Amino acid sequence: MTAADPSARPPIPGGAVSTIRGRIQVPALTWTTRAVMALGLVSALLPAAARMAAATVVVAAVVAVPLLRVAWLVHRWRQERDARFVRLGLALLAVVAAGAALAALGVGS
Amino acid sequence: MELVGYAVLAMATAAIGALGGLGGAVLLVPILVLTGMPASEAAPLGLLTVAAGSIAAAPRQLRERTVNHRLGIATELVASTGAVVGALVSGLVSDEVLTYLLAAVALGAAAIGGHRKGLRNPPDPACGPADVGERVGALAGAYPLGDGVVPYRVDRLSSGLGFMGLAGLIAGTAGASGGFIKTPATSELMHVPLKVAAATTTFTVGITSSAALLVFALQGRIDVEASALVIVGSLVGGQLGAGLQSSLSPSVIRRVLSVLLLLVAVVLIARA
Repeated sequence: MTAADPSARPPIPGGAVSTIRGRIQVPALTWTTRAVMALGLVSALLPAAARMAAATVVVAAVVAVPLLRVAWLVHRWRQERDARFVRLGLALLAVVAAGAALAALGVGS
Repeated sequence: MELVGYAVLAMATAAIGALGGLGGAVLLVPILVLTGMPASEAAPLGLLTVAAGSIAAAPRQLRERTVNHRLGIATELVASTGAVVGALVSGLVSDEVLTYLLAAVALGAAAIGGHRKGLRNPPDPACGPADVGERVGALAGAYPLGDGVVPYRVDRLSSGLGFMGLAGLIAGTAGASGGFIKTPATSELMHVPLKVAAATTTFTVGITSSAALLVFALQGRIDVEASALVIVGSLVGGQLGAGLQSSLSPSVIRRVLSVLLLLVAVVLIARA
């Protein structure tokens, strides 16, 4: 039996393998994509007022979904007791909220 | 240009962008500017196609378990800050300056896209299927490659974060995803396998885009009616491009895309 090389790094550092497998994200994102495509296509055939409403939903979904993914990850990392990345996720959402607040206050307009 | 024209343009640029692995916005936004749309109006349309593409690509990448969410969020903190700053600043900058910036972005994407390498980390026989996935509390993980499993860890995070901030700033000001900076920085500088780097970039560019788009929306800079069809066009084009990718040579496509971006940059500079 040979002694372990103290300078050798383990192949993968860190704790346990994350339990996030995409079981909720995969169907949710698949159906979101389908719904956005369908509603976007249908919106072209609708009268003006309905077209604007449908288009607004499409745009709002595309803007919101990536941020909802971050919120979902924060929730899952809390369950995994990964406090460091929970803080990073919350900080990211805070940056986005701060940008929106500045824009709402008229900064940059 | 009519709304259907925007949708067709978004479809074509998304297909070409997906073929070349750069995304469509880096081509769409400059071409929209060339058709007469102000750069400040074209940028939100470009970012909407980026966010839509990120959502559409996610299910496949999640199933392949190539996205490292922890790496994505860690780098995105800097990138989204850059995107928010860029989006706020872009409202104060003239369209002429934005057009020059777009030309510079197109030139940068042309140079990087033409020279991108396809290096991969080798599988480690010590790792098995149970090791696949990201690690709790660390910027590391493993992904499946053929019959093997490739372990990786993130190196030089602080250097990589500088490039992420630049990519975010470009996204917020010019409306291009900045993925052409993020993927090489993650792969070459931070030593993350190319497949993981590309999938994680696809995840993060959606967040960068959302951060900037919220600012644009509150500034009233999003043309909602045009946006819906542009989103649909880019989603259809992205699927077409991904489907054609396996039947065409990636290196040839990347060179053609680079030449196209070079031409767009030259025309933009001449116009500005």
